[in-house]
Amino acid sequence: MNTLNDTPKNGSSRLDHVLKVIYESVSDLNQQLAREQRIEPSPATVLFGAGGRLDSLGLANFIVITEQKLDDSFGFPIDLTENDPFSPATGHFRTIHSLATYISDLISSRPEGAVR
Amino acid sequence: MDRPHNNPAHGQNEAVNLHLISDFNLDTLGHSLANDESSPRVGITSAPFGQVFPTLLQAHSDPSDFALVWTLPEKVIPAFEEALHCGEVHEHRLTSELNEFVHCLQAAQNHFRAIFVVSWTLPSHLRGNGVLSMRKQGPRRLLLQLNLMLAEKLEDCPGVYLLDAQRWLEAGGKNSYSPKLWYLTKNPFVPQVFSAAARDLKSAISSVLGNSRKLLVVDLDNTLWGGVVGDLGWENLRLGGHDYVGEAFLDFQRAIKTLRNRGILLAIASKNEESVALEALTKHPEMLLRPDDFAARRINWNDKAANIVELAEELNLGLQSVVFIDDSPIERARVREALPEVYVPEWPDDKTLFASTLGELNCFDSAYATTEDASRHAMYATEAQRKRSRAGVSSVEEWLLSSGTVVKVEEFCDANRERVVQLLNKTNQMNLTTRRLSSQELQNWAQPDNRKLWAFRVSDRFGDSGLTGILSLEIQSGVAHIVDFVLSCRVMGRNVERVMVACAAQYSAALGLEELRAQYLPTAKNLPCLGFWTSSGFARQPQDNLFTWSLRQSYPFPPGIEVGGWGTVAGGSASPPMPGRPDPSLPVLTS
Repeated sequence: MNTLNDTPKNGSSRLDHVLKVIYESVSDLNQQLAREQRIEPSPATVLFGAGGRLDSLGLANFIVITEQKLDDSFGFPIDLTENDPFSPATGHFRTIHSLATYISDLISSRPEGAVR
Repeated sequence: MDRPHNNPAHGQNEAVNLHLISDFNLDTLGHSLANDESSPRVGITSAPFGQVFPTLLQAHSDPSDFALVWTLPEKVIPAFEEALHCGEVHEHRLTSELNEFVHCLQAAQNHFRAIFVVSWTLPSHLRGNGVLSMRKQGPRRLLLQLNLMLAEKLEDCPGVYLLDAQRWLEAGGKNSYSPKLWYLTKNPFVPQVFSAAARDLKSAISSVLGNSRKLLVVDLDNTLWGGVVGDLGWENLRLGGHDYVGEAFLDFQRAIKTLRNRGILLAIASKNEESVALEALTKHPEMLLRPDDFAARRINWNDKAANIVELAEELNLGLQSVVFIDDSPIERARVREALPEVYVPEWPDDKTLFASTLGELNCFDSAYATTEDASRHAMYATEAQRKRSRAGVSSVEEWLLSSGTVVKVEEFCDANRERVVQLLNKTNQMNLTTRRLSSQELQNWAQPDNRKLWAFRVSDRFGDSGLTGILSLEIQSGVAHIVDFVLSCRVMGRNVERVMVACAAQYSAALGLEELRAQYLPTAKNLPCLGFWTSSGFARQPQDNLFTWSLRQSYPFPPGIEVGGWGTVAGGSASPPMPGRPDPSLPVLTS
């Protein structure tokens, strides 16, 4: 398992790493979805809200799968529901790219060495 | 692991409806099942969650539908909820509340083909007071007690099956319960739990539908033992001993033997010199599977796909009943391509995973366990002896006369119900209409006075084949219609078919009916049944598959077969026929 100490610290490569984790979550989630509901592993994919394919149950499952994979990958828990994920105001679940940026920022804002 | 074109369940293109009944949100499971395109396809009807008791008590559905009842123990048994919060609860309260739940399940059981009830689990954080968790009133101990009581009470409910949810939680890992999902969606489990549940549910539905696989064909070298026997000699094979690979192969053989003891037939398809391979199977001191454990074998240098076809024919099984295990990816690919009906699971290179990989296969799961299953291998060994005997006489007719066949007729009753249901749901080849019914459905069907269902047991001087035939009649407007005409492939071609028809004809004639009819419904697998009816002596209506017999004429019992119990079953109206010489006017069936 990777931990914070051996994951990329550079902003763009960390974003790439987070995107990779999100794509794995998308792949897991898609196994439960009907063909027409499946989502593309792409930064522009809308996750929730207008133009999105996930309902609230799908989004909740996606959140839990992604949190688990982030924990496995980065070595510490990340709460993706700290700001209401269903609120259009916060909006970090709007697209895969906005979610990846949000997660990347959360990781950057952690104190150095604050691993579990 | 399972390729879409190589489906472990063999009931292709089947579709069923499953009612989800739960006190939490089961939509994720519903999505998993509905989106799984493997056979049988499952359509989902979700009851509003939290309405378990009223839903069960007011159940009304198509009787061919299935139901899943998945509850949280603290919701169904309020006394258990109190115990979780350190309340003192009396055992009689737990029992009484559990009985209420079972009563609701019993009320619903007639409305579904089968009901799957999920065993109760708890999240790991509800561990009670640590070391006292397994003491009296401890939550873990109470949960064990409740599950055990539930299992015991459901034992007497035909068509209601308790499924083990612990396996599914293990698939979800340490985070199988998710408080976050519970608060967000009123569902406590992560999606991995539902994926595992969906796999087991599909398997459970398949087994109730009678789609279990029946024959396991295995390779030898590097599959049953380590090494190539033709190169190394049997003395140098890796099997057992103080060797981790040898122990892994031995455990794999043990797992195969367990399947055999459950009634799954074993066969060998191996590229080897037969004498060399048999020497290994016979002489190696740690060999657990011996030649007698295999119902048939093809040990030669021929194409394995062709050998598997021959094995299935020899055992009177369709290819859809076969599973093939081989360590060689080339052989697996060849059989998959040539015989798509045969299930060829992907197989690990790591020998230490062989036994667990076999244990994970759910294609052998069966909803019915009968004494016939346990003795199936002995029956096939007897059949082999029978075939050798047949080869030694000049004609099939003479052989039938000398075999001393006895057919015993029984009324459909509680004592034979499980086996009758199993036979009805598993038999493909000698099956007139391929009607599939649950135990409850069959019992309900057989109740009206104008319907009759008999079971037939067959034995001969070689051994007892057990309950192997079913015939049911429905009488309407002076005509007796044969609804089910089912005979196990084990006894096909021994004139038992004619005994069954003769019983139906004699019974119908005694009631003063005019005609006996059989409407053949073709499937991909029941051509042998058409073959029988075409040669049965019945008149065939042109351009359809309706066979008729005028009851003004008696249908003769075949000579050489003693029929037991028929006088009693037929209400004393019929005289049991005695063994005699063959009637030259009747064609003798051959298998």
